[in-house]
Amino acid sequence: MPDPHPTPLILPLGDRGLLVRFGDSLSDTANRAAIALAGRVEAAALPGVAEVVPNLISVLLRYDPATLTFDRLAGEIRLLVSGLEDAPAAGTRHVVQVSFDGEDLEEVAGLLHVSVMEFLAMHNAAALRVLATGFAPGFVYCGMHPETLVVPRRSVVRRQVAAGTVLFAAGQTAITSTPIPTGWHVIGHTDFRNFDPAAEPPTAVRAGDILQFAAP
Amino acid sequence: MTGIRITRAGPLVTLQDAGRPGLLRHGISASGPMDRTAFERAGGWLGAAGTTGIEFTTAGLGLVAEGSVAIALDGGAFELSIDGEAKPWPARALLQPGAVVEIRPGSAGNYGYLRFDREVDIAPVMGSRATSCIAGIGGFGGRALQVGDVVPLGATLPRGRGQHPTPAAERDGPIRVVWGIHADRFDDVIRQRFVTDGFVVSPQLDRMGVRLADPHRVFAAARILSLVSDAVVPGDIQILGDGTPIVLMRDHQPTGGYPRIATVVSVDLDRFAQLRPGAPVRFEPVTVAHAEGLKP
Repeated sequence: MPDPHPTPLILPLGDRGLLVRFGDSLSDTANRAAIALAGRVEAAALPGVAEVVPNLISVLLRYDPATLTFDRLAGEIRLLVSGLEDAPAAGTRHVVQVSFDGEDLEEVAGLLHVSVMEFLAMHNAAALRVLATGFAPGFVYCGMHPETLVVPRRSVVRRQVAAGTVLFAAGQTAITSTPIPTGWHVIGHTDFRNFDPAAEPPTAVRAGDILQFAAP
Repeated sequence: MTGIRITRAGPLVTLQDAGRPGLLRHGISASGPMDRTAFERAGGWLGAAGTTGIEFTTAGLGLVAEGSVAIALDGGAFELSIDGEAKPWPARALLQPGAVVEIRPGSAGNYGYLRFDREVDIAPVMGSRATSCIAGIGGFGGRALQVGDVVPLGATLPRGRGQHPTPAAERDGPIRVVWGIHADRFDDVIRQRFVTDGFVVSPQLDRMGVRLADPHRVFAAARILSLVSDAVVPGDIQILGDGTPIVLMRDHQPTGGYPRIATVVSVDLDRFAQLRPGAPVRFEPVTVAHAEGLKP
């Protein structure tokens, strides 16, 4: 029996945003609740809601105050939360081919007290769920890895990693689609690009999708 | 072909339009003019303006008209000359082919706008020609305009009636905010001092954010453990790990993990964007219901 959805906090984010937050720390339960609620809100197509954005443990709704007030929208959200199903439907499955040749791979294996081969076997054993997207164009967070695969972020931030870099930290694996600075460990590189400005929509991976990592 | 050739440009001269809202989940903030009100005012002087214009900064802008084109200028207070002759600000003018326009910093503001009686003839990216400096898309390949660039312009739009350019009424007073999504993480003393002590606009400002100086050290004692990243909206006031407050602007990162004490209300963000380094800033909390009812 899955955990019931936690009761969220409903907060104003400025005068055109409403944030629904399922807890204070990242957990599988809070993340699933956020993704499920985002789906419900999209399906409800509430007049005046301009944008629905699922995040790691929250959902942002941008609204037009000429049509909708925070108080009325909060009321609608409470109704939708009370009817949330226990688990959102599984999303699309994507296979991501990765060259595990990142410059931090040995360091990560060392932190976990395993060999690089052992680390990769553990890392790729199970498919991961996409927890959130959007830190940068096409950026994908996925997880959650078990406790035995959790390492902290690097103390030094890299000024820039390339598009297609596979990152690892905090119980998650992430993929960049544009060059970004990062404090996460670089464990590999991929040709997979989750961002095409000419495509509609410009990204293919959604929160709730499933990623299977595979070494070529 | 009609166009505008750039002869002098500061580092942050960009093409902007209404922006591309609705793409936060794809990792793209909306962009658009830093001072939307001034951008729209400039279009109003022309009556019928293309959706896309040029945003320039206190570094100014120099250009030469290639072809005949009607322009309007507004935002901040700049010094304008056309073919060497000083003109009032804001302005509307019909440029003859070869006309030389020079815009230099004036008494106030950070951002000015140049709009045309034509559409800028470049392809939109994701529904907009706005330059996103952070995503590297839109406008001239996601970059600022440089000396030698020619901004191509399409056919004249059906002529609108337009208005005689007049300076906007100056507003001052505190910048109104709604308490932020992490306001409860700051103790009562810090929240109180956030309202009473005041800050100063620092020289570190761009389209992503405006760092504030904290001369009264309001946030010197703030200690907040790491937060899970949440969506960001323009106007959010983040407190960085070293206690520096930063107001996130149109090209903000789509998500952020620093605590946010407050969010500037929509109608005051344009005025805030025009505050120059050294300007004092006070914040006044208002309720969401009050903010929702404010008119630009």
